Amino acid sequence: MTKVLVVAESALRELLRRRSVLVILLLLPLAFYLSRRGDHLGQSIRFVCLGLGWALSTAALFAGSAARGIEPRLRLSGYRSAHLVFGRLLALWTVGVLLSMPYYVLILVDQHDVRYGAIALIMALTVVVAAPFGLLLSAVLPRELEGTLVLLTVVGLQMVMDPADSVTRALPFWFSREIGTYAIDHTDGGYLTRGLTQGIAFAVVLTLLVTVAAAVRLRQRRHLRFA
Amino acid sequence: MNHDDWLAALTGELRRHGVGPDLTGHVVAEAATHLAESGEPPLRVFGPPEAYARAVADSLGGPDQRPPRRRPGPVRLAAQGVTKRYRGRTVLDRVDLTVRAGEIAAVVGANGAGKSTFLRICAGLLSPDSGTVRIDGTLGYCPQDGGTAEFLDPDEHFVLVGAGRGLSRRTARRDGRVKAAALDWTPPAGTQARHLSGGTRQKLNLVLAGLGEPDVLLLDEPYQGFDRGTYLDFWHEVWRWRDAGKAIVVVTHLLNQLDRVDIVLDLTASRERVA
Repeated sequence: MTKVLVVAESALRELLRRRSVLVILLLLPLAFYLSRRGDHLGQSIRFVCLGLGWALSTAALFAGSAARGIEPRLRLSGYRSAHLVFGRLLALWTVGVLLSMPYYVLILVDQHDVRYGAIALIMALTVVVAAPFGLLLSAVLPRELEGTLVLLTVVGLQMVMDPADSVTRALPFWFSREIGTYAIDHTDGGYLTRGLTQGIAFAVVLTLLVTVAAAVRLRQRRHLRFA
Repeated sequence: MNHDDWLAALTGELRRHGVGPDLTGHVVAEAATHLAESGEPPLRVFGPPEAYARAVADSLGGPDQRPPRRRPGPVRLAAQGVTKRYRGRTVLDRVDLTVRAGEIAAVVGANGAGKSTFLRICAGLLSPDSGTVRIDGTLGYCPQDGGTAEFLDPDEHFVLVGAGRGLSRRTARRDGRVKAAALDWTPPAGTQARHLSGGTRQKLNLVLAGLGEPDVLLLDEPYQGFDRGTYLDFWHEVWRWRDAGKAIVVVTHLLNQLDRVDIVLDLTASRERVA
């Protein structure tokens, strides 16, 4: 556990020292929120949640790419790949919670007649899903530009595609539209259940995939034997 | 330059010139006494520390750059039949290397001979097409570049790598700073790695490789960007590691270092010979 915490602390320090990136991360969801603030209040909630997901995924993508240089050394120094993955996830989840809080307060103040608990749930799921999603992209696509383009595509599709279309369920943030409908339009609990199920499933699967990808990349090669 | 600074600089220069610790202590104590009694500035009395240290070393008949060999211990690293091909081109062809505790092996060869590839295979970071590597003990690795986190300062690096080795924060910081001092470097608190010069970053890299006292050290041209003094400090540190019973593999292309090591693996010829 100490090793996970030390990795988390180091990753958090690294993230918090990228001040200009942090400012952009903080403002990006606000831009999403304000873009629909004028014409459709409920839609602005859906957009701010997507903005949070995009911002945190991007942060995770860059954090994962930046860690590639030092991770082999850390592995040789006695860390398991799981220590590195969960330490980094812990840091990103912490940043995600800190990032979400002002927006939750904003919605509390600015929006009325919505289910605040469900909105908190969307934000929590967004944080839990976005971090492993970004890390997985950094593991699969070593170049940051490629990963950023994939993120752009995913979030763009999430915005323009009809959430009722079954294909959109394959997108990682589909739950935010579904639970958003429950929270904003006061629909029945089916929306909440479907969104929750998809969100939890994506969080679990993405976290597993990140763990496996790191274990494969940082595996001890078969030709090397320790006496 | 005040007395203390001058004496500290003299201590470092004497060490770099291969003067032993006992004699260094004696020379420094004598100089300190003389300065205290005369009250004169050290630069006027003795001149620059580097020049005075050189004069002392010359008066002793020249520095002994080659510490006495000790009987090597058990085999720590055994690479057998390592072969690696890139796009149909054979880079490493059935390379063997055996390094015992208390031995230094230099891996040499022309550009593209596969020196770094061989070291990465020994570290387990790259798979060979065939061959095996057996390590007895723990492994420390200093890459040619990278290996540090841009936004962390040196102390944070020590804590991060030290935790992997099971060191407490305090022990990791202390050990890191002691090893840095051996390279004549005082890590600046709060200065992130991205703000360090290339040579200083390599010092950090080297210190991290030795943290936690691994039994086998794999060093991939770790002295890039070092000034002359640090370069000499580096070799003294390598010899100290050897004397402590570690097995060390150094990738190098500077042939004037070869008389300082026990084994030379020339990858140009893909053969091993004892120095």
